[in-house]
Amino acid sequence: MNRKYAFFPGCVLDGAAHEARMATEAVAGRIGVELVEIPGWSCCGASQTQDVDPEAALAANARNLALAEKMGLDVLTACSTCALMLRTARQTLMNGRMADVNEALATADLEYKGTAEVSHILWLLADTIQDWAPMVKTPLSKLQVASFYGCHTVRPPKVMGYENHLAPHSMEAIITACGAKPVLIPDRLKCCGFHAVFPAEQTAHRLTASAADNARKNGADCLLTPCPLCHMQLDMYQPDAREDTGKGGETPVLHLTQLVGLALGIEHEKLGLSKHIVSTDALLAKC
Amino acid sequence: MRTITFDIDRFDGSRSWTQSYSFEHDPAHTVLSCLIAIKEKQDPTLNFTASCRSAICGSCAVRVNGNAVLACDTKLDSVLKQWGSDRLQISPLGNFTVLSDLVVDWSPKIERLRTARTGLKARKEFTAETGCQQTPAEFARIQKQWDCILCGCCASECNKLTDDRRDFLEPFVYTHANRYAQDSRSAEPMLHVREMLGRGLWKCLHCMECVTKCPKQIAPAADISAMRALAYANGVTDGKGPRHAAAFRTDLENTGRLNEVRLVPRTEGLIDAATGRMSFTFRMLKSGKLSTREATKLYFVDNSPIEGLDGLRKIIRYRRAK
Ligand code: FES
Repeated sequence: MNRKYAFFPGCVLDGAAHEARMATEAVAGRIGVELVEIPGWSCCGASQTQDVDPEAALAANARNLALAEKMGLDVLTACSTCALMLRTARQTLMNGRMADVNEALATADLEYKGTAEVSHILWLLADTIQDWAPMVKTPLSKLQVASFYGCHTVRPPKVMGYENHLAPHSMEAIITACGAKPVLIPDRLKCCGFHAVFPAEQTAHRLTASAADNARKNGADCLLTPCPLCHMQLDMYQPDAREDTGKGGETPVLHLTQLVGLALGIEHEKLGLSKHIVSTDALLAKC
Repeated sequence: MRTITFDIDRFDGSRSWTQSYSFEHDPAHTVLSCLIAIKEKQDPTLNFTASCRSAICGSCAVRVNGNAVLACDTKLDSVLKQWGSDRLQISPLGNFTVLSDLVVDWSPKIERLRTARTGLKARKEFTAETGCQQTPAEFARIQKQWDCILCGCCASECNKLTDDRRDFLEPFVYTHANRYAQDSRSAEPMLHVREMLGRGLWKCLHCMECVTKCPKQIAPAADISAMRALAYANGVTDGKGPRHAAAFRTDLENTGRLNEVRLVPRTEGLIDAATGRMSFTFRMLKSGKLSTREATKLYFVDNSPIEGLDGLRKIIRYRRAK
């Protein structure tokens, strides 16, 4: 494969979900996808900034898009909320806001014409299964994996729109290509609660506990998510969720690219598999 | 003959069961016309509501395979294709109390809608003589919200309501509140926002189910966001929700990137964060998600500024000034 993208890591891949960045870069390198980090990218607003300053959120993302366009590349992100924020901004600009936001971008000698588009690593991996599946070195045949898509991966479909939002299949196709067995759980398309973990903490904990519990009860060795924010919620807050709800057991949570990396035979250290709150040891013993 | 089967959730006031009805496929069918045909030809006891058959009255919403649709505005073929099956589960709307079969109870919902203080309290300069006019641009800001037909689709799969409806409202209630809050003719926009602030305005999970399900392409989540911004601009800046969102904006202008270490104390206050999040912080350090060195730098110094931070600030300030 020979593809090149303007990489938008987003804040968490440089912070608490650093292992997702490690895994994304390792997998991309292995399958021939070149990721060139957008120089000077800024926070996408994380579905938060617009609640206090909508114009700042739009302006910052217009700048991110303009920076990528200057590189002559489409944007690739490994975070569903970043993807939603960037794609929403692009849609807003394309639907009548281009001229006035470009006036603002001009103050920093930037312009967005609308050519740079925004994609998600999930979509890239799903679209290119035929290219990387032959590179699978360690089929994960002993693993049962429960996908957790994350709201912003599929909703709203008018903005995200990669696949049927009610019955998506990309994650299961990737799990199968990795040699593992997909497990369908009722929480598969539900919310993890991350974006309201402070103002609606109890709700977030109940959602997290439910996903972890259902994965375990349905025989899954782990939850799998293409969104590092879902990962943070399901992994980092799992002990709190367990304590709050009394739902027992530990469910490891993998980033999508960690699973693909394991199947491609990438060393565990390069995938950051030890940087999880819920231990991945038992799962790795099956790989 | 191609046979379609509806497995319909029934309820007679005390007993619940699922009943299957099969019929011949007809590409002209909508979900509603199938229900009507079942009632007319197979089972007159099946209860559902519908009136206009034109996506106007809002009375025919049901769930197909667990997802709300306006039955009269949904082609049978589109759902068969979407689900890849000729067998569909038809249920009453979620997050509503079921009265009978597919009929749900709207009375408690209307009581909750009243809390938005719907109705325009016009500004003083408007009189019976001069009227109560607004420009097309001003109307455009609330036009979409006026399309709401109160069908309930936005509430059906709302993840927050499903978890707990005691501290959150149906998304359409927020849309109605915002419709008055954003109306240029309103004497007191904050009247509606204040009511919503006390009723879960900051508890939306951003699950985007409401935006996805609205058959009129209204975005209740955007209405929630717009009212939060209005409240913030009007000085309602305290609380975990506004403090959390404001921290992202602060970081955006300070360095361009989120400071994860300062985020929690900024949201919860230093004392609460230090006492309540001790085990969380410990587990972050122990797992190597955060190093002590990095945490100290982020807390006391900050992220390094992004390349072109000045440009970002200029862009944001220019937009804000506009
Ligand atoms: S019957 Fe009136 S909206 Fe469907």
